[in-house]
Amino acid sequence: MDHPTHFDVIVIGGGHAGTEAALAAARMGCATLLLTHSVDTLGQMSCNPAIGGIGKSHLVREIDALGGAMAKATDQAGIQFRVLNSRKGPAVRATRAQADRVLYRNAIRSIIEAQSGLQVFQQAVDDLIIENGAVQGVVTQTGLRFRAPRVILTTGTFLGGQMHIGLTKSAGGRAGDPPSNTLAARLRELPLRVERLKTGTPPRLDARSIDLASLETQWGDEPRPVMSFLGDPDQHPDQRCCWVAYTNQHTHDIIREGLDRSPLYTGVIEGEGPRYCPSIEDKIQRFADKTSHQVFVEPEGLTTNELYPNGISTSLPFDVQMALVRSIQGFENAHITRPGYAIEYDFFDPRDLRSSLETRAIGGLYFAGQINGTTGYEEAAAQGLLAGINAALAIREEAPWCPRRDEAYLGVLVDDLITLGTKEPYRMFTSRAEHRLLLREDNADLRLTEQGRKLGLVDDERWAQFSEKRELIEQEQKRLLRSFVHPGSPAANSLNAKLSKPLSREYSYAELLKRPELEYADISALDSLGISNPQAALQVSIQAKYAGYIDRQQDEIDRVRRYEGLTLPSDMDYLQVSGLSNEVRDKLIAQQPETLGRASRIPGVTPAAISLLLVHMKRRQGKSAKTLDSQVPEAPKVQQQIH
Amino acid sequence: MSLLVGDSDTITAIATGPGAGGVGIIRLSGPKAFSVAQAVTGVTAKARQAHYVQIHDRHGDVLDQGLLLQFPGPHSFTGEDVAELHCHGGPVLLRTVLRECIHLGARQAAPGEFSQRAFLNNKIDLVQAEAIADLISSSTEAAARSASRSLSGAFSTQVDALLEQLIRLRVFIEAAIDFPEEEIDFIAESDVLERLESIEASIDSLLAGARRGRTLRDGLKLVIAGAPNAGKSSLLNQLAEQDSAIVTDIPGTTRDVLREYVQIDGLPLHIVDTAGLRDSADAIEQEGIRRARTEMQSADHILLVIDSSQINNTKDSTTLIAAYKGDLPPAVPITLIRNKCDLSETPAFIDRDKDVTEISLSARSGDGIALLRQHLLSAAGMSDSDSSDFSARERHVLALEDCAHHLRQGLFQLKQHGAAELIAEDLRYAQDSLGSITGSFSSDELLGEIFSSFCIGK
Repeated sequence: MDHPTHFDVIVIGGGHAGTEAALAAARMGCATLLLTHSVDTLGQMSCNPAIGGIGKSHLVREIDALGGAMAKATDQAGIQFRVLNSRKGPAVRATRAQADRVLYRNAIRSIIEAQSGLQVFQQAVDDLIIENGAVQGVVTQTGLRFRAPRVILTTGTFLGGQMHIGLTKSAGGRAGDPPSNTLAARLRELPLRVERLKTGTPPRLDARSIDLASLETQWGDEPRPVMSFLGDPDQHPDQRCCWVAYTNQHTHDIIREGLDRSPLYTGVIEGEGPRYCPSIEDKIQRFADKTSHQVFVEPEGLTTNELYPNGISTSLPFDVQMALVRSIQGFENAHITRPGYAIEYDFFDPRDLRSSLETRAIGGLYFAGQINGTTGYEEAAAQGLLAGINAALAIREEAPWCPRRDEAYLGVLVDDLITLGTKEPYRMFTSRAEHRLLLREDNADLRLTEQGRKLGLVDDERWAQFSEKRELIEQEQKRLLRSFVHPGSPAANSLNAKLSKPLSREYSYAELLKRPELEYADISALDSLGISNPQAALQVSIQAKYAGYIDRQQDEIDRVRRYEGLTLPSDMDYLQVSGLSNEVRDKLIAQQPETLGRASRIPGVTPAAISLLLVHMKRRQGKSAKTLDSQVPEAPKVQQQIH
Repeated sequence: MSLLVGDSDTITAIATGPGAGGVGIIRLSGPKAFSVAQAVTGVTAKARQAHYVQIHDRHGDVLDQGLLLQFPGPHSFTGEDVAELHCHGGPVLLRTVLRECIHLGARQAAPGEFSQRAFLNNKIDLVQAEAIADLISSSTEAAARSASRSLSGAFSTQVDALLEQLIRLRVFIEAAIDFPEEEIDFIAESDVLERLESIEASIDSLLAGARRGRTLRDGLKLVIAGAPNAGKSSLLNQLAEQDSAIVTDIPGTTRDVLREYVQIDGLPLHIVDTAGLRDSADAIEQEGIRRARTEMQSADHILLVIDSSQINNTKDSTTLIAAYKGDLPPAVPITLIRNKCDLSETPAFIDRDKDVTEISLSARSGDGIALLRQHLLSAAGMSDSDSSDFSARERHVLALEDCAHHLRQGLFQLKQHGAAELIAEDLRYAQDSLGSITGSFSSDELLGEIFSSFCIGK
């Protein structure tokens, strides 16, 4: 039967991508349906119980700046908070939280239930309704048909999911959940490139069977950081510690002896696994001279005894898993509550997507999350948010939106995926961002919240708080430029104690703040007129101290801006572009880049080829047509004072 | 980093063909074309009028005299503001002027880039477009061919070795940033400071080699210095007159500096004769001496001339040179010329065994000049004996200088205990600079290096 309600946007999947997608579309005023095979696992953390970390927390803060749910839920569920890289500079500083799985799920579910315009329905989806090359709705397992002109697929590892424990295979999307095989088969009929990836999890342990007293403890940081710009440590539940254990030579011997029954080393697993998150058997094979590996023992939550031993992901047979776990000091009597396993799943080549995350082949169909070859809750949530935004923009008949590489890690993520594709599960790292110094965790709101407000994602409370902060920063920056310290004055004398060379002339506060020896607190103490909002004070300080580097990155951005905004027509015939090498031509035909900037980042496409494309586009337009230049955006300078 | 560059910037290039010609043209196009031209000439030119100008460097010293023409956009070849500096054609001089333009904010143009801009601004019709496309692809090919030629052998090996060192260092620093929870303290274990200093030393020696190699193509700036009346001008005349390939003869733009452009067996020489070095109370002479010192700073080679009839000939070169210690820049190679050997009744000879090569000659009679010519050829890397130099192109030298600049910046950050992310940033820029010689290196390749070097991940 046809469901009587007509929706604007349907989201398939209730994981981190699906929930953010559904929330974003609904916040933007679309009648939205979230379809999941289980309402009880909305917002489930399938892998390790943690949110954030290097590069990832940057994404979480961007999601938050755009009104998303992940940071808020983390502040309600986090049982240990730390700041990584605290001494390596503000741009690479990253917040990481251990999260209670149950509290996290509950937080996400209550945000979903509180969202007007968003309906949830429990049933697996088996098919898409596609008419004239465009999606028109979905069909559930029981034949129920939901109609909508925009459909977002966020099926995670469920498409053709196959789990491995030793040489035993079973079908599943996650331990305890069935795969989506019918849908997978249906999707394989679409003109989209499909490949397989692999990921894995460690065995889970019962805390009561572990000698925790013999392990190193690791507590969170004080003062305790928060994830959301609106967060407060008072929201956090009770805090817990993690522990660190170590594998030893005996552990490694056990693993080596079990390799003949490893699906990884006997060729049973074909999908490519991540290089940065190898299974323990991989680590021991590839780095044979290492005698020990760390195992971070993470609590799964406040109300459970289960522990997540992060670092020993494995697909070895269960008897080997038991032996290897029990060889670790402190784990001698360990009881495994769930075996570790590897999972292989379908993903779609993200090069078949537009920057809106809409597929090129099927109008109205969007992909977000692991289906695009990424890994990680944060990467998934960020894509979900973007797909939700663009589905809603399409409903409003507005142009799609995607941040540029110099505006957000979300922009880096999408640009990397759709121009380079991926061979392994794609994870964010700060080294992927060439504009790293601009894309900081601390300024995600200044980069994105105004845009979020325009899109209709940011509510009044967030907007008011943000506007106040931005105003404070601007006022304070002006004040620092106008205020001076005179040599010989008491203020100068108080500063001289900290300076390597005493002040010899008049300096503005702004100049002084650039000195490495001085902090914002030193300057604001001069006349106690400084601002007390710590977030705003941090911005003032970073922007002053990093001004030279930030200006240099800005120059780099301005230089390429022209090409970034230059759209390549979708009917571009690359065979007609004279002078292109066959190799370059093939790549351009295969990828159909949306802009000249994106074309320039396709490996093998040379600067000369870009020149040829420019010349060709000009010819194509002829003399009478509108000039190329009218297409080029004005290159508005990114507002320096807020970056 | 993308190699793409938008049209918002100002490009410059030597518009005339390579080698020595009567006149050489430096062309500038883009928003800063006029301000750069004004900065090197001091003249605010009228549109489409030829102005007779002096071209000077950033210190205010005159390099050449020539013509400046300005064509405001859109009525210009490229459709943008275009300035042309018509100079005397010596390659060394043109290179010097080009560098001044780059120093002032212009960028060296890519092959075919002026034509490309002309086309994009509707200055060339559709029929000509085909030719432009051909030009871009063929000039790129030509550049690639010559690049691969110049990248063969020693230069390529050394650049690769440098790149390898730089990547190793970046692997440690980026791993420390992206994987702080690993047990290894990547930064502490890698002796970052030591590695960075060693890379800096490598690039300095590479640059020295590249600069020497560049003289093969572009020639050598030779400065003749010494006490008054040591015979410097005679030596200049001797080198110039004996060669039939004198290109131009510009009278001194100041009282005290004379320039000649000559070729010795195909090696272009830009010879500068300077005022005699001595303590003087005369204001004009002091100015001449100051200019002599400036010229020596930018020399590829200095001929220090002494009058051998006026000194005790048993004095060794170290003692003789020591007298000029305050004037001679430390990094520039020197040849000691014992002039007037006819008067001191010593034979012409060359002695390469000392710290500084000595040549005994007579600029007046011409005796020993052949030895000097041969010596100059070998100093420019044009003899077989010196195979460690390489034929680097100007853009290679610029890229290496850029790289060295970022490395120094990174070293400074490191010594200031700057944040790891800032050191990482400088090293990234340093590698990007090398990338214009070696090809680009993506962030994914860097991650690949990290994963193959360390056991990372949980």
